[in-house]
Amino acid sequence: MESQPLLSVHLSAGYRSKPAVLKDVCFEMQRGEVLSLVGQSGCGKSTLALAVLRLLHWKQATAEGCIVFNGRDLMAASEREMRAMRGREIALVLQSPLSALNPARRIGAQLEEAWQIHRRTSVTERLDAVHATLRQVSLPSDRAFLRRYPAELSVGQAQRVLIGMAILHRPALLIADEPTSALDIVTQAEILELFSRLRHDLGIGILYISHDLLSVAAISNRVAVMDQGRIVECQPTARLFTRPAHPFTQKLIAALPAMPQFGRAAQAQIA
Amino acid sequence: MKRWILCLGLIFATVSTRCAGAQPGSELRFCIPSDPRTWNPLLVEDDASETIRYLTGGVLVRLNRQTQQLEPELATAWKVSRAGNAISFTLRRNVRFSDGSAFTARDVAYTIAQLMDPALHSPTGDAFRAAPGKVITRIADPYQITILFPAPVVGLAKLFDQVAILSATSPEHERAVLGPYQLADYRGGSFVLLRRNPNYWKHDSAGRPLPYIQSVRLDIEQNRDIELLRLLRGEIDLIGSLSPESYDRLSAKAPGMAVDAGVSLDSEQMWFNQAPSAPIAEYKKAWFRSTNFRRAVSESIHRDDIIRIVFHGHARPAVSWISPANRAWFDSKLAPHAFDRSEALRLLAHDGFTLVNGVLHDRAGHAVEFSLVTNAGNTPRERMAAMIQQDLAAIGIRVHVVTLDFSSLIERITRSLNYEACLLGLVNDDLDPNAQMNVWLSSGENHQWNPGEKKPATAWEAEIDRLMRAQAASLDAKKRKQDVDRVQEIVWKQEPFIYLVDKDALMAVSPNLHNVSPVALRPQVYWNIDWLWLSNSGSRRP
Amino acid sequence: MKTMRAVALVFLAAVLAASMAANWIAPASYARQFRDQPDAAPSAQHLLGTDDLGRDRFSRLLYGTRISLLLAPAAALMSTVLAGAIGGAAGFAGGWIEVCVMAGTDLFLSLPWLFLLITVRACLPLNVSPVVSVAITFVLLGCLGWAAAARVVCADVRSFRNSDFVLLARASGAGGARLLMRHLVPNLAPVLAAQFWISIPVFILTEANLGILGLGVAEPLPSWGSLLRELESFSGYSAQPWLFAPLLLLVLTVSSFQIVLHNEEVAG
Repeated sequence: MESQPLLSVHLSAGYRSKPAVLKDVCFEMQRGEVLSLVGQSGCGKSTLALAVLRLLHWKQATAEGCIVFNGRDLMAASEREMRAMRGREIALVLQSPLSALNPARRIGAQLEEAWQIHRRTSVTERLDAVHATLRQVSLPSDRAFLRRYPAELSVGQAQRVLIGMAILHRPALLIADEPTSALDIVTQAEILELFSRLRHDLGIGILYISHDLLSVAAISNRVAVMDQGRIVECQPTARLFTRPAHPFTQKLIAALPAMPQFGRAAQAQIA
Repeated sequence: MKRWILCLGLIFATVSTRCAGAQPGSELRFCIPSDPRTWNPLLVEDDASETIRYLTGGVLVRLNRQTQQLEPELATAWKVSRAGNAISFTLRRNVRFSDGSAFTARDVAYTIAQLMDPALHSPTGDAFRAAPGKVITRIADPYQITILFPAPVVGLAKLFDQVAILSATSPEHERAVLGPYQLADYRGGSFVLLRRNPNYWKHDSAGRPLPYIQSVRLDIEQNRDIELLRLLRGEIDLIGSLSPESYDRLSAKAPGMAVDAGVSLDSEQMWFNQAPSAPIAEYKKAWFRSTNFRRAVSESIHRDDIIRIVFHGHARPAVSWISPANRAWFDSKLAPHAFDRSEALRLLAHDGFTLVNGVLHDRAGHAVEFSLVTNAGNTPRERMAAMIQQDLAAIGIRVHVVTLDFSSLIERITRSLNYEACLLGLVNDDLDPNAQMNVWLSSGENHQWNPGEKKPATAWEAEIDRLMRAQAASLDAKKRKQDVDRVQEIVWKQEPFIYLVDKDALMAVSPNLHNVSPVALRPQVYWNIDWLWLSNSGSRRP
Repeated sequence: MKTMRAVALVFLAAVLAASMAANWIAPASYARQFRDQPDAAPSAQHLLGTDDLGRDRFSRLLYGTRISLLLAPAAALMSTVLAGAIGGAAGFAGGWIEVCVMAGTDLFLSLPWLFLLITVRACLPLNVSPVVSVAITFVLLGCLGWAAAARVVCADVRSFRNSDFVLLARASGAGGARLLMRHLVPNLAPVLAAQFWISIPVFILTEANLGILGLGVAEPLPSWGSLLRELESFSGYSAQPWLFAPLLLLVLTVSSFQIVLHNEEVAG
């Protein structure tokens, strides 16, 4: 482990209508690490994601504390600096891929757009980058595909496009806010695999926000458990699942559906 | 598009009223353009209320619309004092209001008190308000009354044609009437039904009570096209005033129904703004003040074309401010201004105007152009303006036609005086030239070309002032006629108003309606409502 | 679809060319009154007959097309841009700005425009040439026609502002201007296009009705509006079907525009 963490957060945040959504949340993340953030719906996970990107004020929310990313305090950064950082150093993947893409624009245009925000390059370079990122997320990069509108994609494809867009600039940190919740189980598995691969290939640190313990178990190095705006426990994955310390964590793990016990014959049939 | 929808709506409305209100029998039907604004005969201002007043109100004297003479009604005799400030009436005996109460001098006194009540603001009363002061009524006996005014009132007796007598005692107030009909039913936006007044005093020579027609149904119908359609379908019996187009369509379809009652009192005229305070260029005012300029414009306008194209022949070239329909006062020696472009150019050259490359310039080199305002929505007037535009273009004058809504037009021509020339019509119901004193006296408010002059701006205006005052003060009919003729001649020469056409009174009468003698004066068809009768209305569809 | 588009394009080109070339192809000046033959039926001399003052209807239609075809879309464009800008800015800014701007828009909608236009007319000199008068009218229409559309745009933008894709665009580092141009405008395009196309015929007819206020086209200049106004008194059209020529032309032109543009969207 390096001495300087990739991200270190010490944060409280609240909405005008709902104060203290995050109460003194405190965690650190290393480079290339996958840290999962689990908790029930509404416990403040997404708020945290937006807070790190300093986008909370668009949701009429305020945050206090400090967010140190790569040694820089984001809370002290100007909006201009933040804008330069968003998408390039910290990227976001949202829960429902179809609404996260602009329905009125072709995906090729949206990908190129995401590139152009941070780089002024020639058309060929831009297209090369788009093609490369699409390959990375295992999508076709032909012209016909790029000319599609979001509505013409499957949910899985759309999520891949979003992930492709997020990794376009090789960010150091990828915040994935429930990236698999809207997907069916097979696609979920594919996307999870994609995340592992990206982390492995590109060394991106992933802050993986989810309420789905199973996917968390599959992907993360460490897991932080949130309950009512607080991080109640933060452990390496294996330890958390085998020896949960906090009662809330225990409750979460206990709530995991056990694989039903079938007879051998029945199992064979399913297989 | 909205208008189309409106039209469709009206057609449906028409169909439904037809189904609902169909009753055979002696019922006269025609259309009024809107709901009556008032049932009080003293507050009448709009056409619909005027119709109701004519049909239900009993008056002391009535102007016979045909002979243009006053005839006795509720007053059997009357006398205007020598000074012209008092009038005595001898009232008809044994007359009862529709509610049964007796008619006496008290009712007349009450009506006059109401009429002159400042709190009521009676528009009818305005005509009597020649000077401030109280109007006094003296009742000598129940059938003798004298009304004293603070100052002489011109044409006093004739004004009583408009004053429907109210009952002083009836609990029904203005619903108690002395006229041939009384209000029976009214449905807002749909119709007004009038039924015979059973107590109406008039009888025919055979002793039968008048009026012959049992009831009058006034359908409220804004759209003139639909009105015509309904006439053709036999749903209504008459139309009081038709546009030239409608007249032509009607005469093509049902020639028996279209009536041209000859020239009416309505004229169309244009004038130039000569007011010194008007916010227009001085050099333009100089043109407008030039008699030669006005004469040239007048003689360049092809009145016969206007009559043929705009009025489909149903108009005459106007000569004077008094229509030939006004038999007593029209100066028959006058001839219409001839259409003569070369004469017009000669007059203009006399004033230093020159025609350069088809554009007329004044002495200082200004190109001659002016704006002509008229009220929007009046198609004949808009067409006349377009024709004037083309006629004047032929002598190098450029005319900008501007159509304005009526109220802003009035604002311009009466208050701000911010206009150059105006094209308007004059609707005149009064035959006596005294009614137009405020037009012809240079100090008058309606002296449109230069309103409210402190003293006459020109010698001819001074002369008109003198003549008009002289005729108003004179009781000698012949002398008055001479003076008024002289004024007509001056106006013919000077053309402060350029008279264009006198319109014909066009109307439609069903062949089922008898005893009709259409006239140019309002109400053109049913002015003798007492005597009208309907033959078997079999042609009317149920 | 392709042939329809071609037909529409050819038709538009023909209409435009004919109206631009009115000076050469019109058989008579639009103002010339053939007073010996008012209200004439179509003939070799007067292809669409003459109007009630004896003016050649065909020539008037050509010149009227020129006026309306140039000015109505210009005014529609103006009001659409205004609606997009005002509604878009309000919806995008949100908060008290949106409240204020929308309250202003409501106020604008509820103002008695008739009186305002009368005032405008009162302020204008009477001696303006007919062309200037028409142009002023269309500019006024453009300035006044935006309010209703601005409300729709504002509501749309408000929903976009809170949408995931705008959030994501922000998270990708997009700034205000880029969000507006790249993300909001494409999504507003259908609303704005609809506003544009609806405005054209509405403005053409409004211009005709404004004649009542002394605005709009003045004699003797023709516009589609003034030509359509002649259809108002519905008497005996069945006998004179050629009177419907301006209406037919208006309907065909507007629908051709729509065919061409719709196909552009699908194919382009």
